[in-house]
Amino acid sequence: MQEIVLQTNNLTKKYKDFVALDSASITIHKGDIYGLIGRNGAGKTTLMKLVTTLTTKSGGSFSLFGKEEELTESKRRIGCLIESPAFFDNLTAYQNLKYYSIQKGIVDEKQIDKVLKTVDLYKERNKKFKKFSLGMKQRLGIAFAILDNPDFIILDEPINGLDPIGIKEIRDTLKRLNEEEKITILISSHILSELYLIANHFCFIDKGRIIKDISKEELDLECSKCIVIRTKDVKKATVVLEKELSTTNYKVIDNTEIRLYDYLENSAKVNKTLLSNDIEIMGIYESGISLEDYFDSLIKEGAK
Amino acid sequence: MLNIIKSDLYRVFRGKAIYIAIIFILFLAAVSCFSMSPGHIGITSSSEEQQLVEDEEILNKVYETDSILETRELMKEYGAYPLDKEQLGANANLYYFFIIVVVIVLVTDLSNSIAKNTLSSAISRKKYYMSKLITCIGLGTFLVLINNYGSYIINLIMNGQEFSAGLLEITKLTILQLPILYGIISMLVCIGFCFRKTGTFNSITIPLIMVIQLVIMGVATLFHFDANNILNYEFQYIIGNLVSNPSNTYILKTLVLAVFYIITFNVIGYRVFRKTEIK
Repeated sequence: MQEIVLQTNNLTKKYKDFVALDSASITIHKGDIYGLIGRNGAGKTTLMKLVTTLTTKSGGSFSLFGKEEELTESKRRIGCLIESPAFFDNLTAYQNLKYYSIQKGIVDEKQIDKVLKTVDLYKERNKKFKKFSLGMKQRLGIAFAILDNPDFIILDEPINGLDPIGIKEIRDTLKRLNEEEKITILISSHILSELYLIANHFCFIDKGRIIKDISKEELDLECSKCIVIRTKDVKKATVVLEKELSTTNYKVIDNTEIRLYDYLENSAKVNKTLLSNDIEIMGIYESGISLEDYFDSLIKEGAK
Repeated sequence: MLNIIKSDLYRVFRGKAIYIAIIFILFLAAVSCFSMSPGHIGITSSSEEQQLVEDEEILNKVYETDSILETRELMKEYGAYPLDKEQLGANANLYYFFIIVVVIVLVTDLSNSIAKNTLSSAISRKKYYMSKLITCIGLGTFLVLINNYGSYIINLIMNGQEFSAGLLEITKLTILQLPILYGIISMLVCIGFCFRKTGTFNSITIPLIMVIQLVIMGVATLFHFDANNILNYEFQYIIGNLVSNPSNTYILKTLVLAVFYIITFNVIGYRVFRKTEIK
C-alpha cells in the first residue's frame, strides 16, 4: 500500500464568522503531484498554512507521514513555499540559502550550489534578492523548499505572475524533482490548464469547501468528448454496445447514464442500434467540455 | 535553537546596520571623550555637567560656550574626574541602538513575511521566540560592551589615566546595568512580536521612553505627588543612578524590577506570538 504523506480529516479554519476552510478532507500519497485548484480566496493557502502550522486550526485534524503528533519531526521532511517568496533583500541568493542551511543544520555547502543549479539560478548566485525578477524569486523559493532534500514539498501558486517561459521552466523543474528525486508535491493554482500539465491528482476547492477530488484519468474522462446515453436499462444497453457496435470504450456513470467514447461522428447510428434492440432512450447527445468550463460547472454545482 | 541564532548572526554581520551602529557608538564615545562631557550628544544631555562640576564659575562658562574645544579646556581646568564612569551614566542612549538590533534580528523577519520560511519548517514557535530573544540580548550585550569598553579605551587615549575610573570599576558598573538593559530589550522584543510591522514598531518604540517620563511627570503634577519616587525606577534614571554609588537596597530593587520586566514582557510577547497567524 502506498505511503500516505498528508491526510486531512475535516480540517476547518474560521475567522470569527467567516469560514475560510470548511471540513476539508484530502489524502496525498507518496509520489503524487497533487494540484489544489480554486479561485482567489477559495481556501487553498489556508489549507497549506494549516498543514505547515503557520496558522492554527479551528477544527478537524491532519497527519503528516502518518503522524498526527510529533509534527515538528514530520516537518523536517517537508519544504514549503507559501504565498509569495520572501527573503532578505540585502542578501544574495547564495547568502539567503546559506542562512537557511545554517538554520536547518546542513553542513555540506555544496547542497546550496546543487539546489541553485536545479532551479537554474547558479549563475545568479551572487546577485542580491532585491534585484531578482519575479520568476527568479519564485525559483529561489523552490530552491529553498528543496534545500533540505525533503520528501514532500508544498508550493503555493509558484507560477503566479510568471511569463510563459518562466511557467514552463518551473513546470519542468517540478516534474524532474518528482520523477528523479521522488518528491511528493502539493501545488496550488487558479490556472487549471497549467496544473493539468503537471499534476496527477486534482482537488477543486471553492468558498472553503472541497467540491471535487479526482485523479487525472478521471478528469480526462469527465472532460473528454463522448456520447451521453440516458436510459432506464443501462445493463441491456451496454450488452448492445458490446455485441452490436463492438465497443467497450464506454463508462457507466450511474443507473441512467452511459458515456460512450467511440462513434463520436456517428451518434445517429448508436441511437438507431439501441432503439432497434428495444432499449428505451431518454436522451442521447454529444458532450465534452474544456477544463475551464469543467471548473466553472463544478463551481456552479457547488453553489447550488 | 543554536542553529537559528547562528544563522541570524551570519545574516546580521553580513548587513551594514550593525557596523553603522558600532561606528555611531564609538563616534559618540569619542565626541564625549573629546568634549569631556558625558552624554553631550544624545537624549541625556541635559545636566551632566551640572552634576559633575560644582564650581559655578566654570559651569557658567561651559553653558555659555558653543565650542567643543573650549568645553574640553574648561573641563580639564576643573580637574580630574572619572569621565568613563560618567559616560556609563548616559547609557540610556543605547536604547536607540537596541531598537536597531530588534529591527534587524526580529522585526524585519516578521514584517517582510520571512518568518514563515523558518516557522513552516521543523522549528516551533517557542524555539523561534527564544532564539530571537537570545540573539537580541546577545547583540545588545555586544553593543553595551563595545560602548562601555570603547569609551574606556578612547578616554584613556584622549584624556589619560587621571580621568578614568579604572577597568575594574567599568566592569562592575557594566554588570550592574546589564539586568535592566535586558529588561528593556525584552520589552522591545515583546513589542516586536506584538506589532510585527517595522513602521508600527518604530513609531511606538522611538518616543516610548520619553512618553513614559512625560506621563509620570503629568500624573505627578495632576495628583500633586513627588514624581522622583517613581522616576527613580524609570529606565533612564536607573541607568544614571546605578553609576552614582547607589545603595545595596537600590541595586536589589532595580534587579527585581529588571527580572519583573524580563518575565512579564516575554510572557506577554510569547503568548501573543503563539496565536498569531504568520502572513
